Amino acid sequence: MSRVSVPCHVKGTVALQVGDVRTSQGRPGVLVIDVTFPSVAPFELQEIMFKNYYTAFLSIRVRQHTSPHTPAKWVTCLRDYCLMPDPHSEEGAQEYVSLFKHQSPSMTFPKWLSHPVPCEQPAPLIEGLPDPSRVSSEVQQMWALTEMIRASHTSTRIGRFDVDGCYDLNLLSYT
Amino acid sequence: MLQEESDLSLVIAQIVQKLKGSNLYAQLERQAWASLQRPEIKLESLKEDIKEFFKISGWEKKLQNAVYSELSVFPLPSHPAAPPEHLKEPLVYMRKAQGSWEKRILKSLNSMCTELSIPLARKRPVGEQKELLNKWNEMGTDEPDLSLFRPVYAPKDFLEVLINLRNPNYENGDSLSFRTHLGLIQVPLKVKDIPELKEFFVELGLTTGQLGIDDSTQVPPELFENEHVRIGQKVLAEQDSAAAQQYIRQGSPTALRAELWALILNISSQPEDILYYEQLKTNVIQHDLLVDSLIYKDVKLTASNDDYYFVFEDYLYQVLLCFSRDTSVLGHFAYNSASPPKSYIRGKLGLEEYAVFYPPNGVIPFHGFSMYVAPLCFLYHEPSKLYQIFREMYVRFFFRLHSISSHPSGIVSLCLLFETLLQTYLPQLFYHLREIGAQPLRISFKWMVRAFSGYLATDQLLLLWDRILGYNSLEILAVLAAAVFAFRAVNLMEVTSLAAAEAVLADLSTLKVMPLLQIFLFATVT
Repeated sequence: MSRVSVPCHVKGTVALQVGDVRTSQGRPGVLVIDVTFPSVAPFELQEIMFKNYYTAFLSIRVRQHTSPHTPAKWVTCLRDYCLMPDPHSEEGAQEYVSLFKHQSPSMTFPKWLSHPVPCEQPAPLIEGLPDPSRVSSEVQQMWALTEMIRASHTSTRIGRFDVDGCYDLNLLSYT
Repeated sequence: MLQEESDLSLVIAQIVQKLKGSNLYAQLERQAWASLQRPEIKLESLKEDIKEFFKISGWEKKLQNAVYSELSVFPLPSHPAAPPEHLKEPLVYMRKAQGSWEKRILKSLNSMCTELSIPLARKRPVGEQKELLNKWNEMGTDEPDLSLFRPVYAPKDFLEVLINLRNPNYENGDSLSFRTHLGLIQVPLKVKDIPELKEFFVELGLTTGQLGIDDSTQVPPELFENEHVRIGQKVLAEQDSAAAQQYIRQGSPTALRAELWALILNISSQPEDILYYEQLKTNVIQHDLLVDSLIYKDVKLTASNDDYYFVFEDYLYQVLLCFSRDTSVLGHFAYNSASPPKSYIRGKLGLEEYAVFYPPNGVIPFHGFSMYVAPLCFLYHEPSKLYQIFREMYVRFFFRLHSISSHPSGIVSLCLLFETLLQTYLPQLFYHLREIGAQPLRISFKWMVRAFSGYLATDQLLLLWDRILGYNSLEILAVLAAAVFAFRAVNLMEVTSLAAAEAVLADLSTLKVMPLLQIFLFATVT
């Protein structure tokens, strides 16, 4: 099962704050990033990948179109997911993060159709047996990765530092 | 959880790939082939029988030790999208700072080159090669004119760079607040506090026996020492790296130390290793490098002047000159925030086929570098073994002491840990020293950069380095530095200048390391 990246448009951040942006002194701690998907065809979202830059907690909300007649609804997929265990220190501050489908209880397909989560309480992760076809595809991917790494050549050094016996050098290079 | 399983799969794949290029792999293959002749190996159950054979003959243990070694040294694989530089150092501003620092070092070396009109590297004429080969075991008797050479940098230059490190996304505010750092280090790295250190160093607690405390002459050896030695011998007989690392947290008996360190570092002197060392020696004979003069100068200035280490002067040249030629050291730059300096063959500037690293191992020595090797000379007398141990210690630990990174054992974290411990548990002392212009880090920095080598008595230093190996962390250096300040707090409260504070802390040679650490961590009333 191949995975492709979905074209999306990431809008600039908007600060959430009370009061007039111009006059207020304080800096907001909550910023919102809108992500829209220009393609109309339904897709099954597996993974969201990004690089963090000093965000401590992440929430993801999704607007779902359940049917042409009912208006679109906002659903919370992830609430206060911790990216930085201690927001005042550097841990996790610039890490690469992947969020997977199975981490959110309400992420299903297509276009994230789901039962609406009552009272916006994040449901506990579904315990019990995982879906067999999903497991087999994940295992397949892991296996492919392992095989790929095993097949690639080992990187043992031969020990030569010269070029054809010559180690006559100019100056050190700055690039 | 499937995410953890795929992480584990990645770790396994990486370790397999690394071990495939090693001697051990070739040996295991040979052993497997040879075992086919054994009567207990049956064709129907070939795989299981060979695995059983490996278990009984001790080869499985060797493989376990190798895997354990890889896990200890290499960081866990990060996110698949993370580029290689992220593995070296995840924080962009730290990478930039390291890059600038490196550029300064390169400029300094280049200007030394041009001023003195000495090439970075040259091939020795045959006569000179013969001469050096004859003198190999007594290079210390040579007195070359090193007056024009100066060390590329000293620890205090490096400290200035660390003091100026800033996170562009971190605002301290102009006024002093509870979040302003009162010490010299201004970056908000996460460091352990004393409760966390107590948990991390639990084997150093008051109720656990320690070498360095419970083996003193007043304590009858039946209480702890005899049993500890017996266990040490058992660990060595089992040849288990992980067990040795756990054991050595309580210190190593002097007689067992050399073997225990070799076991933990997974060093066994195979014929291939001795050959490799001889090849490095040949490289030294054939090519003369500018860094050789830096090494000579460093040894003459530091180790040769030290009462404990001057006898090992010749060994130091034999190790450090070979170290500079060892391209296998380049491998550690995958997880070191630093990068090896690059150069081009004369006349081929810019042509990638003629790009080389300089020195071949990518490490430019600084003032005091030879002190990393000196204490090891007490344990190992065979040059190739001494060399292997030093190289492994360097690529596991010592490189972190002179490169800018956010790693918990990196020098920046150690400095911040030291300052935070002092500020939290000895606030009066910290405030007083700061007021008189004697920021504590200015005094303790040189101790930590050298891992206390040359400052403590050798037996105490080796007890300290036992714990570095046991806990696979350099944090103990920061804790000891704070403990030393705590020990001399009374005298320090009375001084009124930086020079006087330095004088109080100038001589650490009488200190007993383990009691200091134990008291500071477990017996100080906060």
